[in-house]
Amino acid sequence: MALQGSEVLGFMRVAIADDEIDVTQFLAKIVEEQGHVAATFSDGQMLTQALVRDTFDLVILDWMMPGKDGLATIKWMDETLTEAPPVIMMTNRTAKQDISDALNAGADDYITKPEDRNVIAARINAILRRTSSSGAFETKATYGKYELDRIDQTVTMDGKTVSLTAKEFELADLFFRNRDRTLSRNYIMETIWRTTVSLATRTLDMHISRVRSKLDLTPDNGFRIFTVFGYGYRLETIDKG
Amino acid sequence: MSLRLRLAVEWLLIGGIASLLVIFALNWRGIDDFDNIIYDQIASFGRPDADPDILIVAIDDRSLSEIGKWPWPRNIHAELFEKLKPANPNSVALDVIISEPSADGGDELLTDAIANMPSIFLPLHFITPGSDGRDYDTQLPIEKLRQAATATGHVNLSDRDDVIRRASLCFDPQNGSGKWPHLMELIYRTRTKGKASRAFADSKCGSEFIVPYAKRGSFATISYTDLVSTNVPPDLIRNKDVIIGATATGLGDSHPVPFADGGLMPGAEIMANMLSALKSDGFIRPLGEPITLVMSILPIWLLLFAFLRFSPKRALLSSIAFILVILVSSAVALNYGIWFPPGAALAGIFIIYPLWGWRRLQAVSDFMDRELSNIDASGDMAPLLHKEPRANDIVGRQSAALGSAIDHIRDLRRFVSDVLSDLPDPMAVVDRKGTIILSNNLVEERIGGKVDGMNITEIADIIVTPAHHAAVLDYIDAADANSADTEDENGFIRFNAQEGSTFVMRRSPVISDKERHLGDIYYLTDISALAEAETQREEVLQLLSHDMRAPQSAIIASLEGKLDTAARKRIERNARRTMRLAQDFVDMARMAETEFAGDDILLADLVRDVADNLWPLAEERQVKIHVEDRSNSGFVLAEPDALSRAISNLIDNAIKFSPEGSNIDIAIRRIEIGRQCDLTVTISDNGSGISEEILPRLFSRFSTDDNEKRRAKGAGLGLAYVETVAVRHGGSIRAENRKNGGADFILMLPEASEETAD
Repeated sequence: MALQGSEVLGFMRVAIADDEIDVTQFLAKIVEEQGHVAATFSDGQMLTQALVRDTFDLVILDWMMPGKDGLATIKWMDETLTEAPPVIMMTNRTAKQDISDALNAGADDYITKPEDRNVIAARINAILRRTSSSGAFETKATYGKYELDRIDQTVTMDGKTVSLTAKEFELADLFFRNRDRTLSRNYIMETIWRTTVSLATRTLDMHISRVRSKLDLTPDNGFRIFTVFGYGYRLETIDKG
Repeated sequence: MSLRLRLAVEWLLIGGIASLLVIFALNWRGIDDFDNIIYDQIASFGRPDADPDILIVAIDDRSLSEIGKWPWPRNIHAELFEKLKPANPNSVALDVIISEPSADGGDELLTDAIANMPSIFLPLHFITPGSDGRDYDTQLPIEKLRQAATATGHVNLSDRDDVIRRASLCFDPQNGSGKWPHLMELIYRTRTKGKASRAFADSKCGSEFIVPYAKRGSFATISYTDLVSTNVPPDLIRNKDVIIGATATGLGDSHPVPFADGGLMPGAEIMANMLSALKSDGFIRPLGEPITLVMSILPIWLLLFAFLRFSPKRALLSSIAFILVILVSSAVALNYGIWFPPGAALAGIFIIYPLWGWRRLQAVSDFMDRELSNIDASGDMAPLLHKEPRANDIVGRQSAALGSAIDHIRDLRRFVSDVLSDLPDPMAVVDRKGTIILSNNLVEERIGGKVDGMNITEIADIIVTPAHHAAVLDYIDAADANSADTEDENGFIRFNAQEGSTFVMRRSPVISDKERHLGDIYYLTDISALAEAETQREEVLQLLSHDMRAPQSAIIASLEGKLDTAARKRIERNARRTMRLAQDFVDMARMAETEFAGDDILLADLVRDVADNLWPLAEERQVKIHVEDRSNSGFVLAEPDALSRAISNLIDNAIKFSPEGSNIDIAIRRIEIGRQCDLTVTISDNGSGISEEILPRLFSRFSTDDNEKRRAKGAGLGLAYVETVAVRHGGSIRAENRKNGGADFILMLPEASEETAD
């Protein structure tokens, strides 16, 4: 799975901005291992200068930086660049409010430091996969132990069929397609229920809980559901390395 | 009893007593006499003129001396009629009752003379009660005369009074036995072709009328003897109504009448007055009793209503005005031929003014007495009643005491406003509608203008920032709702002012002695400094959290590819633990000062998330974690960050103390206790259990332990954190050892129902 990114996507240019040199080096290494090219910056100001004259496929931003902080940089990118690259916000701030603030401000994903290298790699690839996705529709897809048949709307796990309702299947499918990407509650409700208003808030929680139990989405099985409180959910792939 | 109620009762009593008094007066002779005096006074202004077509033929003293002693022989009258007949009078009434036949045979002569006259009337008289037990005796002219005459009419005078004021045009001696018109009524009809007079037709038989008397002696009169002995010009008699009657004093047919002008009035003149009144329709009709009663009582109540509104001085003036109005109305009515006796009404008015004045003074005096001694008893002021011993009477003393009470209140008000203006914070007293009735100058300073008559909401409009405006108005609106419960603390609301400072608005209700909600007191406290300190503290916590985590993150990141795997993992684990402790510390500090703000969280999923987070650690120690939801998707109201960390600490602890290859079972259950449901998270490990010594203080903050064997090692802050979070969520945490080894940590949280979630 480690080389999945370059195999699928070819190489991409990733900008990394953090005031800790250890962190930028660590991230650059991960990016390069995935077959991409990394450019590192030690503060927001330098990053924005580079963004004016250079094109990147992804920006990994530290929130708390000298010069220009993460949120200000995202705002600047939205206002200045005609085609702003996706952003992964990376920070030591862990409060629920901070995470939803960052995602609502326009960040495409959010990683809490310190995070495992494999997780970071998966998240980077998830973002890059989306931005270059050809949107090809496969009737059958395999994700680790799980095989999804989109015609029959069934999921088999280790060859055994798991009984899911139509909504549960759609939800599972949505998560697998967007694995390692954080999906907002609104996005999920719009996609599955085509609404955001009339749905009781608990309905979504309970559907996700059922999918999680029925498919036994645990790290032992290579996946986990991660709840971003106040924002949404993410299906993470677990590298049992 | 309140003063109002007492005065109302007194008022009604006075009205009732006065009304009864009037009813009594209407039936009392004394008032009759009074009314008569008034009547005479009023009537003397408008006395009618004598009818020139009436001629009185007087049997006077001169006639007696010239013709002879009474009774005269009947031929004398016959002679008179002989004399009258050629002169052609309209009618002749002989007011002499000839009830017994004479011995001298004059009867026949008279009968013939009467029969000769075309229009001659004779009197009859009723004597009640009659003799021998009869109801009445009828005194009739002798039969022959009666048949010869045109008609016979009664001549009874109304003798209710010593003075002849009234007359009945119709006499019914025994109720319903027959109607006898008055002699004058019959004469009146000779000129109307038999049609009854208005006064006769419009009233019941027996009704009395007041006779309007012309000046005494103003009717044309001729002496009987002159008429008999001399040649009287026929013009004097032609077409006249001749009334022949006795005027001589010795004959006894003279009666006292009102304004007698110096003597008694002969019956003939009284009849002449009656006939005159009939002809001019000038009889005066007394008002009927029910109307008189109403008219007498009505002014009393009108005046009593006026008393309620007027000051004593104006009440006196209006009483006098009422008296005048009654007298004038009585006079005006009399002018229109109606008599309203004003005596009873006047008596009522004379009574109620002093009565009301007395009762009102008494009530007010009692009230002042009571209130002043209440104030005295409440001890707010110096003793009042004993202050002015020299004041002359009780009311004077009370007034003096009231005066000093008012002085005290003035001082008190002054004191209150002084205290108010010296208060360090803006403060306003408002009435129930929110209008400011008292405030200190800090309020004016704050809004930069006068507050007079402003509403508290207008103050809010000026001071509060738009963001907080609606919430502050909601708080103000709640004043009335809360007022019912005086125990209500009313809470407070915090808002930012437009110029940047931060305020807390508080309210306390003003409750009167009688438990009524009169208004509210609003206080504004400037907490800008406090708010600033809070913000700074929060920033410090944020920085602390970040600055403690950042180097640890850097350590972990820099371990990449260095050292051997085992050493790297050890360093990384300890770096993470440092980080978690720092976070726990910061979180606990923050929780101590922030309000709980929970989200609707599916508890089983949160536990799974945490378990998944700790999977790498469990994997490393080859421990399996099983999460089982037996609560059927129970939700809790929770702060997800804090609750996740608390459960994380518990599971981390469990992993740490689990032997390699063992299981950790986590179960979420629902426990129903009455209407309330709790959810529990039970984390069961298969470790060595918790030592009995440490168990009681396992969750106390900073409990440290050096002993390697003991369970709580390294969990000092972690477990204290768990308890802090559990309590903050309205739940609890406990730990116990299972019989067959291992420990259970049970976190209990109240379940959030579907309704409370939204």
